[in-house]
Amino acid sequence: MSLIEMLNVEKIYRQGKISVPALRGVDLKIDKAEFTTVFGPSGSGKTTLLNMIGALDKPTSGSVTFNGSSIGEMSENSLALLRRKHIGFIFQSYNLLPVLTAFENVAFALRIARGNQGEKTKKQVMKLLKSVGLEGMENRKPNELSGGQKQRVAIARALVKEPDLILADEPTANLDSETSREVLKVMLKMNSELHTAFIFSTHDPMVMEYANRLLEIRDGRISAEEKK
Amino acid sequence: MYLFRIAFRNLFRRTRRTILIGSMLAAAVVVFLALDSFMLGMMEVSFRNVIDFKTPHVELGRREFFDKKDDPAEDLPIEEAFVITEELKEDIKKIDGISAMTKVTDFTANFVGPREDYPVTVRAIDPDSFDGVFRNREYLVEGEFIESGGSGMIVGARLAELFELQVGDHATLLFRDMRDSFSTIEGEIKGIAATPHPDMNQHFVLIDSDNAYPFLGFDENKASQVMIRLKEREQAPEAVSRLNRLVEDKYRARSYRDASQMLVSLETWGYIETYFILGMILLVGAIGIINVVVLSALERTHEIGMMKAMGLKQSEIVRVFFYEAGGIGAIGAAIGCGAAALLIWAFSARGIELAAIYGGVELAMGIPVIGNVYGVWNPAAFIIIFVFVVILSMLSSLPPSRWAAKKDPVKAIYHR
Repeated sequence: MSLIEMLNVEKIYRQGKISVPALRGVDLKIDKAEFTTVFGPSGSGKTTLLNMIGALDKPTSGSVTFNGSSIGEMSENSLALLRRKHIGFIFQSYNLLPVLTAFENVAFALRIARGNQGEKTKKQVMKLLKSVGLEGMENRKPNELSGGQKQRVAIARALVKEPDLILADEPTANLDSETSREVLKVMLKMNSELHTAFIFSTHDPMVMEYANRLLEIRDGRISAEEKK
Repeated sequence: MYLFRIAFRNLFRRTRRTILIGSMLAAAVVVFLALDSFMLGMMEVSFRNVIDFKTPHVELGRREFFDKKDDPAEDLPIEEAFVITEELKEDIKKIDGISAMTKVTDFTANFVGPREDYPVTVRAIDPDSFDGVFRNREYLVEGEFIESGGSGMIVGARLAELFELQVGDHATLLFRDMRDSFSTIEGEIKGIAATPHPDMNQHFVLIDSDNAYPFLGFDENKASQVMIRLKEREQAPEAVSRLNRLVEDKYRARSYRDASQMLVSLETWGYIETYFILGMILLVGAIGIINVVVLSALERTHEIGMMKAMGLKQSEIVRVFFYEAGGIGAIGAAIGCGAAALLIWAFSARGIELAAIYGGVELAMGIPVIGNVYGVWNPAAFIIIFVFVVILSMLSSLPPSRWAAKKDPVKAIYHR
């Protein structure tokens, strides 16, 4: 059974009387441990596809299943629990909680997914912050961090709960090439050790280089696919 | 724990806004606690004056006497006076907490002056037992108190002022006796008392019962009421209840509160007014809280979206705003309680002159107080208002926070 299975998925946004199709009959399967990159021009439907896979949005028609469960039939609470335990998000605009420190932002994600594990939580968070190069900055709040540092906190937050799937929208856009490489190595390690699936929406050639599957999307359809 | 931490820190993201709404709530708390303290203070001194000078903890009399006494259109019914038997005295002594008792006969009379008459209540007393129940003697400002078997009368300072009377002057009381014939008692002003009870000061004359009875037409040693003082005010309801079970049906015992229905009504209306004002101010506070939550939700749209993406349920997002509103409520209530404590401290130390509030009119609005009213500490009111404000703040936050938590996560995350 695939981790994600999309069958003839359509998503239409309505703006007043105008209907704007974002996805037009997408069929897609993502297996565990896949390292996938989605690319395509702006407005092609990449973000909508990621939102659909991440259970943030429901399709207008067609079906999306996660580990065999249909997302379209789940209640709001079930969707929240699915995201909490099984999916990690990395957004281009970081979306960190500004009142929490870097450590707390990461620990919060772990805490809501796994509950309070005391010292274990602390060790896990510190280990991950170190692996994304933020050792010594754990007590800084987001407004005391640079764009790249914030992005690394957002990456650590998504990785810390060791979910089945991580969805990342331009995760390396604000990182220098050295840091990008370090972060991607952490992700690859998780991918190989924990069989975490990654789906990136990116134009970064370095990310594409690491990916084992490339999907091109145009006008709401998967127009090309390449497996390495 | 993290939700609580986020809510707590959110309180200080817009400090000015938090302080503004907290101040509104604090103002409500101060007004409520100050009014409550004033009301309690006024009622405390009012009932104390009633007990010390007019009606002690318990009074016992004939049912018909009280019916007419409570009707302002009726004269006091002298014919309802009764003989206090040994059996009745024994019944009275059976009640718990009795400290002292005395008999009095109240009757309506005209205080006859050189140019005009003035309606008064004459209280014929037994000077030997009177001081155990009432405190009039302590407030004598001129002359001396009447003695048992002696002649003369004690008048209030205000009555003396109205008639320009001094100790040693003579006065006449005109009234109807048991046979409904006009009768008079003439006597020397033995003393002038300035009690803090305005009605006592202006409308009451004390005379010795032995001196009064022949003029009233009593053939026996009678009284209209037996006045009973208890050790504690709180014992009155139980004492009244017990006494009413013990005495014959023709008698009735009642407490100082039963005898002061107007004061009790004033107390009730005072509390209604206090709670109405509190309600109005808190309504404004609740609207303030709703505004704060709506503004916060708009400002934090991205964060709400991210929290949903992280897997927080709607109820958990509501809890963040719920705790935050509770925090604003707690800050406002704490500031309000602190400010009110200072105000009540000053009020209880210095007091407020009631005449200054009611334009210098004695017996204004039927309040039996002359002079200062002091604030009373009511710790229960502090606890109740604190809890109430926090709960109200939290409840006010529910509708807007539910609206915030229902935001579409995609729209919230990509909101510009």
